[in-house]
Amino acid sequence: MADNSMSSHGTKMNTAEEACSLFRLTDSDLAALKRLGERVVPKMDAFVEQFYVWLKTLPEYEVYFPDEAMVQHVKSLQRDYWVEVFEGVVDQSYVDRRATVGETHARIGLPLGIYFSAMNYAVTLFSVDLYDGNLNADDYAAAVIALNKVASMDTALVVDTYARISNEAAAAQSKAIMEMSTPVTQIWEGILLLPLVGLIDSKRAQDIMDASLAKIADTQARIFILDISGVGVVDTAVANYLIKVTKATRLMGCQSTISGVSPAIAQTMTELGIDVGNVRTTANMRDALSLALQAQGVAAPRVGD
Amino acid sequence: MAASHPIIIHDERSLAAAVLEATRVAQSAGLSRVAVQQLATVTSELGRNILKYAVRGRIQLEAIERKGRKGVRVVASDKGPGIQEVERAMADHYSTGGTLGLGLSGTKRMMDEFTVMSEPGKGTRVEVVKWQ
Repeated sequence: MADNSMSSHGTKMNTAEEACSLFRLTDSDLAALKRLGERVVPKMDAFVEQFYVWLKTLPEYEVYFPDEAMVQHVKSLQRDYWVEVFEGVVDQSYVDRRATVGETHARIGLPLGIYFSAMNYAVTLFSVDLYDGNLNADDYAAAVIALNKVASMDTALVVDTYARISNEAAAAQSKAIMEMSTPVTQIWEGILLLPLVGLIDSKRAQDIMDASLAKIADTQARIFILDISGVGVVDTAVANYLIKVTKATRLMGCQSTISGVSPAIAQTMTELGIDVGNVRTTANMRDALSLALQAQGVAAPRVGD
Repeated sequence: MAASHPIIIHDERSLAAAVLEATRVAQSAGLSRVAVQQLATVTSELGRNILKYAVRGRIQLEAIERKGRKGVRVVASDKGPGIQEVERAMADHYSTGGTLGLGLSGTKRMMDEFTVMSEPGKGTRVEVVKWQ
């Protein structure tokens, strides 16, 4: 579902070049970053300790760091992460590692607010708290600008992956729901029923077609009731799909009825100019069922009798 | 009047979001049940045209009011290939996309106001209004 070559907003940020160009990150930025790195990388242990002092104040801390081993593991990853930043080399493996960080955070469901806040705090620690004042004013200013660019770029790479994974999860979920949403059921000898709910897209239309025809072949059903009372919109494409399904079932010797055509849908279909031809339609499922039972020679009990 | 954010139509999922939003806007504008259904259907038609011909485009939904009367405006625009012959495209059963060819003509019949602007190679803009 998700297109890996594009970010959630269609901005390409796949390669190191694309990422750097989006954030206007130049070689002189990277050089400035390296100069700041010479000042702060030796203090990396102090950085990690101070960062965790802040992290522990968050109410979510306990949830994400259940034990000391976990804390040590993440601390060492974080150390490597920032050492890499101050090396001043943004290449493909740099970009890929940021994607992995995004993936990890997405898997544990870390709120993005915490992520942004953490990046912001890290920038503050490196540029203010841990900075020893030993750069000239121009170099320092350039380094702070570069650090901010890199922090934003890293955040964007992480969030991008985060969004992709969330989208994939949603797509997998909707696929699972979709698969459950074409329950063609034999409700009586020779009678199949498919209640449709929601919106019908081309993928789902194909699923409906496949599931219906397969079930007709399995059960030798003669009557197929397609109930659309739960379908939100019947536009020309959906109407076309439904008509195709009824035509295909007829070829298999099974008569289809489209039931549950509400007044609003009936009026809309008429205005659209859709010709349902000789497809049998009924206002509700009860009528369709009653007709089906009669056709099968079953005396249908009348509701209310 | 409060205009909702334009919805970028680029796949069937975003189209579904636009249809749901159209239903919501039409209901809150106090449109009748049939009118709500028609507006949602029209949004779906216009969105499908975007997907089919332009691949990507946008739909903007807006609750409007004129002389105390409430309504909903839908604007569907894209920078796709445009419509070569608008008049023919407006005729029933005319389609270059292998479909029923009722979308645009049906849309016009269902809406109170309908404007289509298209320039080949530049894109298409369809604006419709349904009044309460």
